[in-house]
Amino acid sequence: MDLTLNDEQLALRAGVREYLTDRWNAGRLRAATADAAPGAADWAADWKELAELGVFGLIAPEAAGGMGLSLADAAIVGEELGTALIPGPVVASVLAAGLVDGAVEGDAIVTMLDTAPGVPLVEHASIATHLVVVDADGLFLRPMAEVAVTPVETPLDPLTPVALVTTEREPRGQRIGTAADAAGRLRGTVLTAALQVGVARGGLDLAVRYAKERVQFGRAVGGFQAVKHLLAESLARVELARAAVLSAAVIVDDPEAGDPAEAADAAKILADHAATAGGRTCVQVHGGMGFTWEVLAHLYLKRAWVHETAFGTPDAHADFLADRLGPKP
Amino acid sequence: MDLRFSPAELAFRKGLRAWLAEALPALPARPHRDDWSARRRFDTDWQRRLYDAGYAGADWPAEHGGLGASPTEQLIFLEETAAARAPYVGANFVGLLHAGPTLITQGSDAQWAAHLPRILRGDEVWCQGFSEPDAGSDLASLRTRAVRDGDHYVVNGRKIWTSMAQVADYCELLVRTDPHASPHRGISWLILPMDTPGVQIRPLRTAAGSTEFSELILDDVRVPVANRLGTENDGWRVAMITFSFERGTAFIGEVIESRNILREIVAIARTTPAAGGGTLWDDGALRRDVGRLSAEVHGLWALIRANVSQASAGIVPERGASVFKLRFTENRQQIGDLAAQVLGRASLAMSDLPGTDGTGHLVEDRITTLAYTIAAGTSQIQKNILAERALGLPKEPRWTSR
Repeated sequence: MDLTLNDEQLALRAGVREYLTDRWNAGRLRAATADAAPGAADWAADWKELAELGVFGLIAPEAAGGMGLSLADAAIVGEELGTALIPGPVVASVLAAGLVDGAVEGDAIVTMLDTAPGVPLVEHASIATHLVVVDADGLFLRPMAEVAVTPVETPLDPLTPVALVTTEREPRGQRIGTAADAAGRLRGTVLTAALQVGVARGGLDLAVRYAKERVQFGRAVGGFQAVKHLLAESLARVELARAAVLSAAVIVDDPEAGDPAEAADAAKILADHAATAGGRTCVQVHGGMGFTWEVLAHLYLKRAWVHETAFGTPDAHADFLADRLGPKP
Repeated sequence: MDLRFSPAELAFRKGLRAWLAEALPALPARPHRDDWSARRRFDTDWQRRLYDAGYAGADWPAEHGGLGASPTEQLIFLEETAAARAPYVGANFVGLLHAGPTLITQGSDAQWAAHLPRILRGDEVWCQGFSEPDAGSDLASLRTRAVRDGDHYVVNGRKIWTSMAQVADYCELLVRTDPHASPHRGISWLILPMDTPGVQIRPLRTAAGSTEFSELILDDVRVPVANRLGTENDGWRVAMITFSFERGTAFIGEVIESRNILREIVAIARTTPAAGGGTLWDDGALRRDVGRLSAEVHGLWALIRANVSQASAGIVPERGASVFKLRFTENRQQIGDLAAQVLGRASLAMSDLPGTDGTGHLVEDRITTLAYTIAAGTSQIQKNILAERALGLPKEPRWTSR
């Protein structure tokens, strides 16, 4: 039993972190959100860089051009991507690698549409080359060019443009996965949770930095317990969620070590909570500046709200866990 | 990363499980919670059985008679005993988890010989004399005085929250030996025999109605200088070592119990008719509350595994221990509230309701766990620790009074 990072994992994390600090720092985020037309930024070059870093091929089998690494490895990378608020359909593209030509190399940018009841909204339609439709019968692939969408004028998260799919459901496109693949969305759940842990950590880092610098009443505000305790609570949520995500990643790869569905759902609940509650704390600790467009606090909270709706809401997962303790009579 | 156990660990688990299956049915009936001599007898008898089976002192090094188990084996021990609902460490808590481990790292050969084997066998019960009426979270402001008189200290003062004082043989006692030094530098750690003249015990009734705690009144109590652990005025450092043992493992087995209680809550909800027809378990809000608390229990168990993994790698999981203490205790209190919600008016009965099969313990647990966010470092102190040590935020100003 070992949940610590080994040397390869530490090196993997350090490599990704170094790239992100260099390429996706605060200045870049601010520039991206200053864009007059949200979502118009061209990420194709960045997407290729991420692909060269190996991000999309992490868990795809080597035979399909991937690296064949563990889900835990992908979760470690996912936390870093989340912390940097990398835009783009990261999880869908990682899952599509090996199924969609060019996804590993970053030539195909794959987004996803869940046909579960609700508004048919896709993220990043303007940059995506392919759409994977997930429904109860399986996974279906369509070139984005064949899919009619109407972009939403103002998305919640300026770095997550969304569009309404207006295409008829039929034809669904080329089948690339079975119903079992569609049902087994645990890897997507765990990876989204990993991104959320990163979003939570990024928001916490930002808030802590500010709390150490901002002086009121003659003291750094981070010295006041009212503020200190908010931040400590954020940290506790991050630590709990990270342990749950890594544990779930191991269990999804190795079902003999636990119950994959329970572990993944628990991880998503805790990570969503860490990111959304942590995002609120980040805004609050910044005071008035937290409500400005210029300070990045709002981006962490908004991204947390985006991921919260993907791969099952906390409510849906909670209902599932309750069912495991005792099915409805 | 993996969550598999080695063949040796699996064998350890199997052996322990088999032994528990035999040993538990042979235990005498559990004593009434306020019958202290019966409780001591029951708890030390259990300790003796563990000792005879070779399971005493899982976390103690082998050269001191312990099991010398690895962190993972210690986890397995706590997991299996809790899952089988074996007796809690009870009266042996301070001896096995506080004083014993502290003696091992700080004690002399003579102190080892006098106490360690007896603690392991369940022959010797310890209690704790750290907190005082005016020194709680600010422990370093403690005022119980010890004045040197030849080869003895003469101790005067008051201690509080002393569990098992009525039946303890020894007390781990913090005293002020230098009133002029700064608060942290004038403290010493003494071994106090509880039958020393001048030790008066005043039971203190808890909110749960039990006399779990006592107040100790120390009036010219003479303690041999040879009973000191470490050097004079170095007691704060020794006490910090004691605490590091407490935060590591004290609540691990309790997470299993949290899961058990959640299952009981669901079982009650599934059989309790709801006002509008159906059962309480049809209520989506209740189901989601249960699901969320269950997710936290999953997370806490993952955190334990992460902490144990760190310990196995030789790293003290300080941050993980504080996070665990903070989140476990809050989670358990919320579980208690949920139990009361499904029990409805039955939550007014702390003993079993006549004619029903045992919901009183859920009500009692709801009260007992009020102490969890207070004892062993309040939640607020844990948050200060996390904010200062892990996040590097400014330290609290030191306004320690004496």
